[in-house]
Amino acid sequence: MQEKITALRTQCIAEIRQCASTAQLQDVKVRYLGKSGQITALLKGMKDVAPEDRPKIGSMVNTLRNELEELLEKKTVEISEQEMKRKLQSERVDVSLKSLDEPLGTLHPITLVTQQIEEILVPLGFKVLEGPEIETDYYSFQALNIPADHPARDMQDTFYITDSILLRPHTSPMQARYMEKHQPPIKIVCPGKVFRSDSDASHSPVFNQIEGLVVDKHLTLCDLKGTLEYVAQNLFNKDTKVRFRPSYFPFTEPSVEVDLSCSNCGGKGCSLCKGTGWIEVLGAGMVNPFVLENCGIDSSKYNGYAFGMGIERIAMIKYGIPDIRLFYENDQRFLKQFKK
Amino acid sequence: MKAPISWLKQYVDIDVDIDTLCRKMVDIGFEIEEVDYLGDKISNIVVGQVVSVEQHPNADRLNCCKVDIGGEVIPIVTNDRHVKEGDKVPVALDDSHTANGMHIKKGKMRGEESFGMFCGGEELGITADMYPDADKEGVLVLQPSAKVGADIRTEVGLDDYVLDFNITSNRQDCNSIYGLAREVAVALGKQCRPLETDFDATSNTETDSLVQVDVRNTDLCQGYLMQGVTDVRIAPSPLWMTSRLAKVGLRGINNLVDITNYVLIEVGQPMHAFDYREIKDKKIVVRCANEGEKLVVLDGKEYTLRSGDLVIADNCRAVGLAGVMGGLDSGIKESTSTVLFESARFARENIRRTSRRLGLRSDSSARFEKGVDGYSPEVGLNRALHLICQLGCGKVTRGRIEKRSETKWNKRITFNKSRIRQLLGISVSDDKVKSILTSLGIQCEIEGKTVTCVAPRWREYDLHRDCDIIEEIIRVYGYDNIVGTLMEKTTITTGGKPEHVKFIDKAKTVLAGMKYNECIFYPFAGKNLYSKSQKDYDTSSNIALINPIAEDLTYMNRQLYHNMLQCISLNHSRKNYLLRLFESGKVYLADQLPLTQLPTEENRICMASTYAGSFDRFKQEVLALLYSYAEDLTLKPSCESWLHPGVSADVFMGEEKVAVLGKVHPEVAENFSFVKDVYIAEIRIDAVASKANKTFRYLPFAKFPSIDRDFALVMKEEVAAQDVVDCFTKLPLCENVKVFDVYRNAQQLGEGNKSIAVTVTFRDRNKTLEDKNIEKQVSSCLKELQEKYGATLR
Repeated sequence: MQEKITALRTQCIAEIRQCASTAQLQDVKVRYLGKSGQITALLKGMKDVAPEDRPKIGSMVNTLRNELEELLEKKTVEISEQEMKRKLQSERVDVSLKSLDEPLGTLHPITLVTQQIEEILVPLGFKVLEGPEIETDYYSFQALNIPADHPARDMQDTFYITDSILLRPHTSPMQARYMEKHQPPIKIVCPGKVFRSDSDASHSPVFNQIEGLVVDKHLTLCDLKGTLEYVAQNLFNKDTKVRFRPSYFPFTEPSVEVDLSCSNCGGKGCSLCKGTGWIEVLGAGMVNPFVLENCGIDSSKYNGYAFGMGIERIAMIKYGIPDIRLFYENDQRFLKQFKK
Repeated sequence: MKAPISWLKQYVDIDVDIDTLCRKMVDIGFEIEEVDYLGDKISNIVVGQVVSVEQHPNADRLNCCKVDIGGEVIPIVTNDRHVKEGDKVPVALDDSHTANGMHIKKGKMRGEESFGMFCGGEELGITADMYPDADKEGVLVLQPSAKVGADIRTEVGLDDYVLDFNITSNRQDCNSIYGLAREVAVALGKQCRPLETDFDATSNTETDSLVQVDVRNTDLCQGYLMQGVTDVRIAPSPLWMTSRLAKVGLRGINNLVDITNYVLIEVGQPMHAFDYREIKDKKIVVRCANEGEKLVVLDGKEYTLRSGDLVIADNCRAVGLAGVMGGLDSGIKESTSTVLFESARFARENIRRTSRRLGLRSDSSARFEKGVDGYSPEVGLNRALHLICQLGCGKVTRGRIEKRSETKWNKRITFNKSRIRQLLGISVSDDKVKSILTSLGIQCEIEGKTVTCVAPRWREYDLHRDCDIIEEIIRVYGYDNIVGTLMEKTTITTGGKPEHVKFIDKAKTVLAGMKYNECIFYPFAGKNLYSKSQKDYDTSSNIALINPIAEDLTYMNRQLYHNMLQCISLNHSRKNYLLRLFESGKVYLADQLPLTQLPTEENRICMASTYAGSFDRFKQEVLALLYSYAEDLTLKPSCESWLHPGVSADVFMGEEKVAVLGKVHPEVAENFSFVKDVYIAEIRIDAVASKANKTFRYLPFAKFPSIDRDFALVMKEEVAAQDVVDCFTKLPLCENVKVFDVYRNAQQLGEGNKSIAVTVTFRDRNKTLEDKNIEKQVSSCLKELQEKYGATLR
């Protein structure tokens, strides 16, 4: 009996060692330790063992059983580890391989800049508004203190549809439209397409502006400068400076051209700013009281400021785009570059 | 407005360099478009004096000269054999540049050394208007007064800058040398010297014996002054005058004409000189033209006038188009002996209208359009008569005809001193305010809190009220004194975007998430593009521009897809084949043409893909966008002619068509030379937005299990899957219908047939469903499918 046990042990251990998969191990387990396995058979055969030998043999069988179970367990772990390793090995990918499809799509740089400016101004209490692109002469000019045949009309070469309906040459008509219907406090910002009949490398017959208007008590030219500094510093960088130069717009008085310190060279002078350290980006001023009065706002109580900037101009500076025509050509190689 | 520094210097001392001057002028509101140094093109050319002239030993047509160039004598070989000993001539030295682009170096000519070249007017870039004899051929012999060794630019007047100012339209007074001189004086803190306008009326003739003036339209002609010159001697003008005119781009003609031009540039007053012989019946009438009246003006062309045009007439006919151009007959001629000077003020709006309508522009009309003030006609006439006397062109007649409808000037502006701080946000001291305003010619008094100003007449177009005066203060005081503040004292307001803007922003983000790149196009196009993208496109319902800049930018778009097709074509031609593009833009829909009111501007989104490869994939992307907003969508075959008739669909949200999508029609694809199949959709995003679900409610999960049943149905090709789906969907217990296979096999199913396999999910939300509960519904549905569509179970 003892030899039988020893032989069984040797045989079983050898078989366990040879196992290469969990399936084989399971097979060995069933054959030796299963219900009708050989070890189980030994226990069942105890009745044939002499009663005095039974405790000894029984203990031997149990020891063997425990030993084999432990061995099996160990081997199981070993094999499943190997199997997992193989599986992982076989599933390995080359992570450096480029995906065949495109990354996310992009928004047009005009949209990006417009949204950025809106996001800067909305928390300051500005409402975003859009107005009609096909406008009346009244809102485009007359309401803004530019009567018919006034020399200031030469400032914009306007596309006309009829004598009194035109493509808006600026986003300013929304100033008048909004003020006619609302009393101060007013804080609005109006982005959108505008149209002028000229075209070359720096002029497009269609371009985008964003107009800001604030009307309230206790509003000053210093507030206009402060707001524009805030916008410029958030749009470019915190060191950006704002400079006012006197200018003329019929709907503001005083009127200023606004220069920003060149974001490219930080004001030292470079090719972008033509060596001046400053870049002209927008026009602004205190709303002319004639305009306030035209729209039914008491100019003795309220001051207003307004500013209007060209979106393309800002995008050109911010992203280093050399030619305004690139915006409207929509070459995919251009569009794809503006990842947010 | 071009202004030579030398001319400005007549009126104000300029003792700063050109860069400083420019900067200071910009600081007070005068942008400078160009700084032109007249001597820029030439270098290293000096005044030389010929010491000796000898025949060149090896060349018949050349002379060898020795030239004193100031302390040094150099050899010059020349082909101008008129140059003689003692002549002073311009000498281009070794390594010099001439105005006509030559680079002169020393060298040998036929074996004889030459250290440079003699120059003529052409090499110096000057005409006889700037220096005597400068337009003669050959070497320019300089005046005996020329200083040997001096830079030639100084001798011939090229050592001068011409500044081109961009004058804002409120400063009509600065479209003149004198107006600018006033501002230069302010910028530099100097005094501006007065214009010389005195003259002696030495003629025996009284002005009103020559002519009577009748101004009939005083609204269009607010001032009309006239005075004559007798014993006129037409002759060339002196060099100082022609030289100044040349620097601003005007050619010298004769003394009379040059004086009118000179006054226009210097004082800003357009003048007109009539030949007295041509004024019939001693009568000048300023009146509106008769409708259809004809006039031949100085440019030799005949113009047909309208009743709104103002003319200057004698008793018989129009002799000039007021403020625009004089008549051909009444112009100054060599034989003119008596002249009538007109110095007037015409309404700028009217001049602008007439000049634009006739397409006839002149320096005079350009100036009147900008606005002539009430001060200018008198100053202009006085200055012109002063110059007549100075140049000795004739004798000024006695007395002056003055017709004025304007009231006497006294523009008083009064405001509370606190307005300065209220508007600017900073304080400016009383003394500073006074000194700034005084320097600008604005009389100013401050008493207590009240500021009282009287604006000078030349500022009548732009100084109306307190803010105008305050602008004058700050532009001179300096905008650098304005310190930024962030609206600390204003009311708190709530900012934000309107719903439809947020909606479109979201759609853009969704599209970018689906790998689409945003495009932006011009919202107008032309017939070419329209007919390329849609056969027989009719532009009659498009809104058209009156003054387009190009034929292909004439009509406002009614659809977005035209531009998108064009853009794909461009990208394909540049080898960008795989594209996913979208545009969020407007289309313009007129209720009635021509427009009597503003049209509808509708927001749309156009999507296009060459990636999709199949209708189904593209449809998924379009619907993915639409399903972000709504669930109730149905697709029906589309009849848009620009899309493939078998591979296109209209999308309905309820009853409303909100989108079309499909594969571009092969003919259209050919027109645009597409390399890849193009799938395109145009979505009426406003319509989608108005119908979008804005509220959501949580729906609990179903507690009871569902039953799935699969059906394979054979039917004709023409039957739409949606019809089959609809048949099941309307069953009361049907929860979902999914088409999972479409199978075609002519042998098994018969020619022209297809098999559609669907999984129908049934559920009762209140109890567990058993087969028997749905059998009746299923069989009635199958019966309906059989009857309506001939669909049979496979």
